[in-house]
Amino acid sequence: MTTATRLPPVLLLAVMVHTAVAPQLRFFGVAGDVLLLLAVAAGITAGADRGAAFAFGAGLLADCFLQTPFGLSALTYSLVAYGVGAFQSTILHTGRWIPMLTTLVASTVGVALFALLGLVLGQEHLISARLATVAVVVGVVNALLSPLAIRLLRWAVAPPLAPGIVH
Amino acid sequence: MALSRRGGRSRFTLVFLILTSLTVITLDFRGDGEGAIGSIRDGAADALAPVRDAAAGVLKPVGDALSGVTGYGELEEENAALRARIAELEGSVLRDEGAEAELAEARALLDLDFASEIPRVDARVIATPISNFEQTIELNQGSDGGVAVDMPVVSGTGLVGRVVHVSGTRSTVRLITDPASAVGVRLARSSEVAVAEGEGPERLLSLSFVDPSADVSVLELVVTSGLNDSIFPPGIPVGRVAVADPSPGRLERSVEVRPVADLATLQLVSVLQTGSR
Repeated sequence: MTTATRLPPVLLLAVMVHTAVAPQLRFFGVAGDVLLLLAVAAGITAGADRGAAFAFGAGLLADCFLQTPFGLSALTYSLVAYGVGAFQSTILHTGRWIPMLTTLVASTVGVALFALLGLVLGQEHLISARLATVAVVVGVVNALLSPLAIRLLRWAVAPPLAPGIVH
Repeated sequence: MALSRRGGRSRFTLVFLILTSLTVITLDFRGDGEGAIGSIRDGAADALAPVRDAAAGVLKPVGDALSGVTGYGELEEENAALRARIAELEGSVLRDEGAEAELAEARALLDLDFASEIPRVDARVIATPISNFEQTIELNQGSDGGVAVDMPVVSGTGLVGRVVHVSGTRSTVRLITDPASAVGVRLARSSEVAVAEGEGPERLLSLSFVDPSADVSVLELVVTSGLNDSIFPPGIPVGRVAVADPSPGRLERSVEVRPVADLATLQLVSVLQTGSR
């Protein structure tokens, strides 16, 4: 199977979980952001370049179900995945906890960035007293789910093997 | 050298994605939520509707239990507040009767009946918002059932919100508690006109532009004003004044309103077929 054939089912599964399951399971009234988690996981597993491209697609899917400007999530997720990918490339030793910590920080920053970019686009209501709660809860929930997401993304968008290398 | 080339390509990808995002956002703004992008949203909403319905049916008990655990403190506070409210109501039956009379009087004064002459579509609430930033609900009626964008939505007790998005079989309603919501209102007793703005979930609505010298009393009924071609017909109950601070020295009075509709437990609502575009 190639990346092209692995990606669609992964994205479809993520959209279904994002739209149907996550909103039903809220912590302190806040649901995890599964597609943002996938974007961060793409940055971790596929690097800045490919991760950002994947995150852009995931963001567009998220935008299909929001009332905010179409493309806002795509822009946010791309920037987050690029940042995560760039940061990941600077780390020499990756402990087991680093991807979780990265997801926690990146998801929290991603939520804040979404609100901030929304503000620039005239969505003032995104900035509220609740923003900090939303950002922290999304960060924690996404961090807890990150091992699963990273494993899934590693299977779906991991870089192709160099010629001659056989599993 | 190779690293530099790779870095250049990576930056090119990022710039390309940013520009594409900005183009899509611009197209959405220019199309005002309709056109190709509106169609994409409609298609996505309709395509996943059965999955979301099934998931909601299966996971709702789990979600309720989770909300009960993580919101235990809030539930305790709510319980205490409700006990206090019961005591207050028990001690002020006469005042409530007066309030009912006030409501009837306000309706008579405004020469309005609570949207009884406006055609309506009854709908069931089938989903909670996907986003953490939006106070919306989804209804099981869409454009096929006669629902259109900007139509007001009411429950048996009062205003719920307005329709902001419609697909063939579903519609999305922005609740009056959404921070992006603003409703032109009138205080039934004092006839003071103001704007009721949402402040987020489980928070009171705040009234803007209330004259600091206005005579506003707690429990006073607030109804839609219908002024300036508002999409909301006049006379729909919105809420009751919960806080009315004097705010001396300020340009407007600080007034907060508790919605009359219980927005957390809505199941059936009516979409008023007016104000469509």
